[in-house]
Amino acid sequence: MATIFGCEIPEDRYYYIERSQMTWVKVEDGRVTIGATDPAQARAGRILFLRVKPVGTVRERGRPIATVESGKWAGPIIAPIGGTINEVNTEAEKEPSLLNSDPYGRGWVARMTPSAPEELALLLSGEAALAKFREVIVRDQIHCDRNPP
Amino acid sequence: MSDPSSLPTPPDPTGKRVLMIITTGPDEPDKSYAPFFTAALMAAMEIETTMFFMVHAPELLKKGAAEKIPLKQGGSLKHFVDMAIENGVRLLACAESIRDLCGLQPEDLLPEVKIIGAPTMADLVLDADAVLSF
Repeated sequence: MATIFGCEIPEDRYYYIERSQMTWVKVEDGRVTIGATDPAQARAGRILFLRVKPVGTVRERGRPIATVESGKWAGPIIAPIGGTINEVNTEAEKEPSLLNSDPYGRGWVARMTPSAPEELALLLSGEAALAKFREVIVRDQIHCDRNPP
Repeated sequence: MSDPSSLPTPPDPTGKRVLMIITTGPDEPDKSYAPFFTAALMAAMEIETTMFFMVHAPELLKKGAAEKIPLKQGGSLKHFVDMAIENGVRLLACAESIRDLCGLQPEDLLPEVKIIGAPTMADLVLDADAVLSF
């Protein structure tokens, strides 16, 4: 686990860092689990609303898989790679602040079966991911707090 | 601000269209951010969302104006304008209001804004599934 200005970045996953997006992707048994990162949840503030597209939804890379709202941000969580949603975190839909308190664990958003696993190569990992996080965290002055206002 | 040409096209898989009509300008900052926030949220929900600015509302879209509108919860209106643009909200402004009420030139507005006339607005109202007025 790397830590950048108090923001935790696990090293066992891929990252999609574009525009407002800072999502993680973890590959497990041919499926991918997707969630918001620590700096993403901190930048958004306390998450008040999460709605994930239903199971069975087919999404191309770059299309929304979920909608998130906090007091100061409303936006989509974008599919970092294309695929079919086959599991939705209904616990997080009922308790959206799980995205804040446990972004890499109970606050996961959706699981998908990738349609083109080679798209994982388009995501960042390792040092490249950490460098990009460092750039965004400094630029946006993000201070990670798992219990943001 | 991102290059507008690289912004996502407004999403439309729901097939639903919402038109929001905004008439209030910088004189009432408390009323300025909710339309942008609502529009950003709807666009994120893949509803094709258009904001139409008339009367004094186009002044919110003047280059450098949103930065100067402080919000009670902190920050400025710019955060919400950027959020709406990033989520793919379409920004339209009334040509007559810009010219006659706001005293602005088209080039004074943000590059993401498209200027249209009243007849086009009439078409948009009739084409929308819902019209919200602010």
